[in-house]
Amino acid sequence: MNGNADAAAGLLYLYAVARDTDLPGRHLTPSPHHPRPVTGVAGEPVELVRHLDLVGVAGRVPAADFDEEPLHRHLEDLDWLATVAHRHQAVIEAASSAAATGVLPLRLATVYRDEESLRRMLRARHEALTAALGRLDGTVEWGVKVYTLPGPEKEERTTPAPSASGGVGRAYLRRRGAERRADEHRARQADDAVRQIHTALAASAEDTHLHAPQNSRLSTHPGHNLLNASYLVRRDDDSAFTAEVRAQVERAPAWGLMVELTGPWVPYSFAATTTGPADGTDDR
Amino acid sequence: MTTRRVELDQDTVERDLMKLVLTLIELLRQLMERQALRRVDQGDLSEEQEERIGLTLMLLADRMAELRDRYGFEPGDLNLDLGPLGPLLPPADR
Repeated sequence: MNGNADAAAGLLYLYAVARDTDLPGRHLTPSPHHPRPVTGVAGEPVELVRHLDLVGVAGRVPAADFDEEPLHRHLEDLDWLATVAHRHQAVIEAASSAAATGVLPLRLATVYRDEESLRRMLRARHEALTAALGRLDGTVEWGVKVYTLPGPEKEERTTPAPSASGGVGRAYLRRRGAERRADEHRARQADDAVRQIHTALAASAEDTHLHAPQNSRLSTHPGHNLLNASYLVRRDDDSAFTAEVRAQVERAPAWGLMVELTGPWVPYSFAATTTGPADGTDDR
Repeated sequence: MTTRRVELDQDTVERDLMKLVLTLIELLRQLMERQALRRVDQGDLSEEQEERIGLTLMLLADRMAELRDRYGFEPGDLNLDLGPLGPLLPPADR
């Protein structure tokens, strides 16, 4: 804490950045005539901090929870994290539906010391923020995951019968060799199919972002996650994109794959690369 | 982290240790099998050598399956998550 007047009120948690003219008033409200402001991660009323032609969608949060050190402790608490992530997303959704030309969502727990440091950031990154708002204007994000379908159950391993060309040991080696080649063949086919799916979807998207495949042990899906991608799609192209996804959903079982679509989302995956600092607290 | 409870249950410790040991044995078994299959493909083993290696690998696979059953592990349980490097063993391998 550096002892200025805002310090007592806590820190400023930034949810999103939008164009000034898109969000009127002092607070973010669910609709223009709604009297009660949207509440944020700490139950605080969400404010609109204006600077130049930008507006920061922000809330005052207690330093006891969101200062660097307590925040790092909290980030390991999955229940706390789930609650905060849920409220964070709710604020962004509210801002997004209120703003005509869309908002730039910030990642979880982007925190500033006070209004002045938030304004400093809006000034310093003005060009990048404006460009990103322009790029994301009228777009949505779709998430697509491709999983392998659980394969047909292999019959129980039995002792191979010795054949004319050798004993049990050689028969075992031959069978394992054939199984391994079949596995490799399947894996190559699946890779090719995933590449085809991604190429087809990318053709009707503005931009794509590949995430690391999910660890299958943490996921509820029986298969392995081969593709975990986000697609930035113009609202005008939305029906073309989802039609392409539907086509892939139908083709996928023939390749032993399953395609899953989620969205539309506020384009989180494409905003993160252009906004904000890599770590939570900044600009003190 | 202060909130996570440390469990020193005897059975849990033994099971976790067995899982680690079996995972490492499984890794070695798969490496040996791969090496054997490559040498068979290259044709640089005699028939007797192939027979002996094949039998050994087969008995090792059977023994692994028995040990897995005894400790109640599925084949997919015997693996280590190496974080950004991915899993230690290929996921689909049996």
